[in-house]
Amino acid sequence: MDLFLQALANGVLIGGILACLTIGFQLTFGVLHVIDFAVGGWVMLGGYAGYWALTLLGLDPFISLPLVAVVFALVGRALGPLIYHVRTSRYARPDLMALALTFGIFIFMRGGALWLWSFNSRNVDTAIAGPAIQLGPVALPVLRVVAFAAAAALSLAVFLFLYRTRFGLAVRAVAQSRENAGLMGVDVPRLSAQVYAVYTGLTAGVGVLLATIYSVNPDVGVRYTLFAFFVAVLAGLGSVGGVLVAGLFLGVVESLVAIYVGISYSHLVIFGALYAVLLISPQGILRRGL
Amino acid sequence: MASKLSRRDFLKTSALGVGALSVGAVGRGARAQTPTIRCGVVTSLSGANRFGGNLTRRGYDLWAEEINKLGGIDIGGTRYKVEMSYGDAQSNPASGASAAERLIVQEEVDVIFGPYTSGVTLAVQPICNKYRVPMISGSAESPKVWVDKPPFNFGMIPAVDLSSGKSLGVIADSVSPRPESVGVVGVNEPFSDDTAKGFRDGAEPAELELTGFELFPAKADVTPVVTKLKSQNPDIVAVGGHEEVLINFVKAAKSLGYRPKAMVMHYGITAPAFADQLGADANGVMGISLWTPGVPYSDDLFGSAADYDKLSYARWGSHPDYTEAACSASGLVLQDAAARMGKAPPWNRSDREALAKAIEATDIETFYGPVAFETKGDHFHNNTRPVPVVVQITDGKVVPVAPADAAEGDIVYPLPAWS
Repeated sequence: MDLFLQALANGVLIGGILACLTIGFQLTFGVLHVIDFAVGGWVMLGGYAGYWALTLLGLDPFISLPLVAVVFALVGRALGPLIYHVRTSRYARPDLMALALTFGIFIFMRGGALWLWSFNSRNVDTAIAGPAIQLGPVALPVLRVVAFAAAAALSLAVFLFLYRTRFGLAVRAVAQSRENAGLMGVDVPRLSAQVYAVYTGLTAGVGVLLATIYSVNPDVGVRYTLFAFFVAVLAGLGSVGGVLVAGLFLGVVESLVAIYVGISYSHLVIFGALYAVLLISPQGILRRGL
Repeated sequence: MASKLSRRDFLKTSALGVGALSVGAVGRGARAQTPTIRCGVVTSLSGANRFGGNLTRRGYDLWAEEINKLGGIDIGGTRYKVEMSYGDAQSNPASGASAAERLIVQEEVDVIFGPYTSGVTLAVQPICNKYRVPMISGSAESPKVWVDKPPFNFGMIPAVDLSSGKSLGVIADSVSPRPESVGVVGVNEPFSDDTAKGFRDGAEPAELELTGFELFPAKADVTPVVTKLKSQNPDIVAVGGHEEVLINFVKAAKSLGYRPKAMVMHYGITAPAFADQLGADANGVMGISLWTPGVPYSDDLFGSAADYDKLSYARWGSHPDYTEAACSASGLVLQDAAARMGKAPPWNRSDREALAKAIEATDIETFYGPVAFETKGDHFHNNTRPVPVVVQITDGKVVPVAPADAAEGDIVYPLPAWS
């Protein structure tokens, strides 16, 4: 029972962070209709930004996190119009062109990281990496608890922004119908670029958290792209609410399977669950969109 | 004014050409009169593995320089100099095979000193078999190199499955109270899985109870693995993995407040990045080396291990690791085998076959340690004699701590709680 509770705690803590990672990805899909292959790349670059902030400026990653998020949001704001332009191009298959573009961006990011930081893994240390909090038989790593809390705060901020602001209303309107939102006076290209900025900032911020928990190297991006895809498909592409449920589900299932069945079977079980959900509820776990 | 070749010019030019050819013939004849032993080095001098590749070259070259200072290899009372030729494997098995073929066919080498990585060694091996050229591999560590019983390849470094397994016994015999159990995990990828299987198979000879064995995917979150180990609570945790996994493993263990009495990992911890990135958390982690300057071995050419260290430092400006040492010792194996074979160079195909037989019968002690090659089993032609030296990270430095005759510092066991 002790082991079960520990596995559950591990799964919830990491699942929450993966959910936060996927929220921006979902927003981008909902508004821009782009499946962004570069999502893992933004995580990876965010981790390296946290590493540079620590080694060059001496900033603890939890202090540099907002700074990293803002810097990457500005980068995303600059890149957003290009993504929108490609996605809304009048030429054939703009959806595939956008996919290819983000894939190219991802390769460019990985190559750039290799050039700047080489193959070596980098550890992003933090003052919070203290001993675990012992809750009965369960050890809760302080760092993961704080990272989970930070991810939850970021997710909450995105939800408040989506459901409590006029801007959020516009975002949801564009997600439902780009044409109608445009007719109602929403500047769709501008709003799309802004959403892309929110996405890159949020994802890079999560990258800082993940780099403190694990480490960062140029190849970690692929892993997080895979996670984001899994969570997004399970949640239903475009569903921000479903992401929370799907992220926690992924974290807990992976943790329990790793301990009770064998870690080599984790992905088998996870993808089995994914196919089952797709068969039963193709719209995603909550059967609703943005 | 049209240019016209006169009869006189034609004769002059022809005479020069014939003369040049004659000089070449005289050159080959002259080399035949003072024969040398021609050694080819196939290693990665460029590409991703160029750092390790150049270490192997340094080791081989240092031996060649030292033996040539004495006049060369002594065969039947006459000394024959060694002549080195190089083939760049470019960190690529296919390029390694091409380089080996060029060295054998065009440079007519008598023997090959083997590549840095096991992958390139596996590609070069068939070329050596085809042309019956013995290869002494100073670096290959994968057991996969030896399972097919390569007739012409000989490995100086014990395969990783053996060295990792033996290390558990060395640790268990060096600490008090003696550990009773070990939990083994490893990444399910080449080399790392061999390492983990070696740890697993080494538990029984070391009289340690195996509490668990698990391989996990390279990109998996190691937290569940550490959680499981924590619940099993073995005295020693042994991990087969590369640097990223090892760093993540230590971080996950610390985050869960889990500190086994000993944590041993293979090779990755001696990479500077490991201690650099983990800082104080790296302290106490153990690893394995096959040679250090403190080992109690010696030979006639290099003297003691400490003498070799000084010589190598003076020549290259950095202290040698076990790869360089094993490569230099490869030359000692050739020396010994050639002397026993007793046939003066140049060597033909049957001479090279006889040389391979002589290498197979090697049983010598060198500054690197004892050298003798297995003649049967899954480690055919692998030198399984060297005892691994257990190293431990102490204040960010890699310090040999066991066995006692190679130790340069005290082993920390059991590890203190995380600070």
